[in-house]
Amino acid sequence: MIPNTNPATERANTAQPDRNAATTVLAGESIEKRYGSVEVLSDVSIEIPAAAVTALVGPNGTGKTTLLRLLLELESPTSGTVTYEGPQTARRIGYLPQRPSFRPGFTVAETIEFYASLVETAVDSDRILDRVRLTDARNRPVEALSGGMTRLLGVGQSIVGSPPVVIFDEPASGLDPTMANRVFEVADELAAAGTAVVLTSHNLSLVSRHADRVEILSEGTVTELTAPQTLATRYGVADLREAYHAVVTADPADHGDGDDERPRDDPTDGERQ
Amino acid sequence: MTAHSALGQGTAIAAREVKTVLRTRIYALLAVGLFGFLFVLVAGGGGAATGYTPAIVDLLLPLEVIVPVLAIAIGYRSVVADLDRGELAVFTTYDVPAPVYVTAVYLGRSVGMLGMLGLPLVATGAVIAFTASPDTGVFATHSGVDSPVLFGRFVVLTALYGLSMLSIVLLGSVIARSLRTAIALAIGAVLVAVVGGDAAILAGLTDGWLGPSSLSWSFAVVPNSAYRSLVLETVIAIAAPTEEAYGSPAASAIGLFSWIIGPLFAAAAIVARKRL
Repeated sequence: MIPNTNPATERANTAQPDRNAATTVLAGESIEKRYGSVEVLSDVSIEIPAAAVTALVGPNGTGKTTLLRLLLELESPTSGTVTYEGPQTARRIGYLPQRPSFRPGFTVAETIEFYASLVETAVDSDRILDRVRLTDARNRPVEALSGGMTRLLGVGQSIVGSPPVVIFDEPASGLDPTMANRVFEVADELAAAGTAVVLTSHNLSLVSRHADRVEILSEGTVTELTAPQTLATRYGVADLREAYHAVVTADPADHGDGDDERPRDDPTDGERQ
Repeated sequence: MTAHSALGQGTAIAAREVKTVLRTRIYALLAVGLFGFLFVLVAGGGGAATGYTPAIVDLLLPLEVIVPVLAIAIGYRSVVADLDRGELAVFTTYDVPAPVYVTAVYLGRSVGMLGMLGLPLVATGAVIAFTASPDTGVFATHSGVDSPVLFGRFVVLTALYGLSMLSIVLLGSVIARSLRTAIALAIGAVLVAVVGGDAAILAGLTDGWLGPSSLSWSFAVVPNSAYRSLVLETVIAIAAPTEEAYGSPAASAIGLFSWIIGPLFAAAAIVARKRL
């Protein structure tokens, strides 16, 4: 029988006894982002600690992807600052886009080796493929991969060069429960190895299970970054799902499933590792 | 970023472009098709039987049209496809500088362009060597003699023209935000640069704001006119000298190189500022 364990809790109890003392590697302070007259983010401050999975959740259109793009410096904030505070490495931040896609005509191994050739440090491509469970598919053309395997290849690409921070934008979106869980497991393993993992997701079940810290974005502002259960306790509710509804709506009962892509009978609810 | 890593990144990206070209069968088919077309032109026009220079005369005008088409085929997807897949955003996390990326993509695609264009032209030259009259085998050292050297010069000039067209198409691919707009932009950019330029010169002469004395530099400003001018002055005029100069070879050469370098600078500047 496989024991029921929470990877985030295990990490907190072993690798990081005092998570508040975790080193901040990426920080955003008083971030505001406007597109013309439309304000997407307002006075958002966030600290991304090393060796932890930080999840940003919230309804569609609340600025999760925008916040990730600001952290990646793909865009500049209208006001406020984003500061990388981690070690100086060949690659500072890895990135898994929401819909990762790769140049067709190349195999999985060739694709990872191509990205490996973009960093100065030596990269063990085989180890990366092993880490994302794609060793058996190493000679398969990328256009022949399933959606989940493409996402895993994207995760593999994001960790090329061992960046201290990796950012996953909706890593479980559109994946079956097993594959979605596998992607989150990789996030767990990266955090356990000391990487700061930042991700967005609508899958509150996986977030609750794997994230060390959760931040809920609603109408351009955020709740305090804290552990999922702490958030639930603060709002006097049972779990992250109810805390989410308490934050994004006045009446959780009226909100139904909200934007959570996971159906009520999601098999991941009972999945144990 | 050190110079070494920029060189390493550029080499990796250029190598990926070369592999992409080599693995895309349509490009090989286009090269074969081009050879067939050139063969029909020189055979049908009689150039193949009479020598290199007559064959060049047969090929010049069709190549002015075909080369831009090849450039569009090989270059319109080059950058916009990376943007479409989100790879340009990913490249920023590897600190790939925009000039390195643009130059590497261009160099990689250039290998394809030169292969697609150069191999059929060299094959055509070989056909002429076997079918033309005996004195075309002479490597001329003075004017008035047909020679493979002249054909070689024609191939080099055509390659330069192709590279300038590829540079313009790549700029269109950088500006585009989707594959659909990329093909439209590539066609539009080539039409403006080629047909628009010739039309502007013609309009200038007709309306009087361009005098005959300005023609020399006017030809140099338009890529296909610069190419035509160079071929006429440095290839055909060698074998068949005329009293009237078509244009200034130096100005045309500068013009053609400017059409290679200029769009690449613009493309790098746009990629650096593009919302990825």
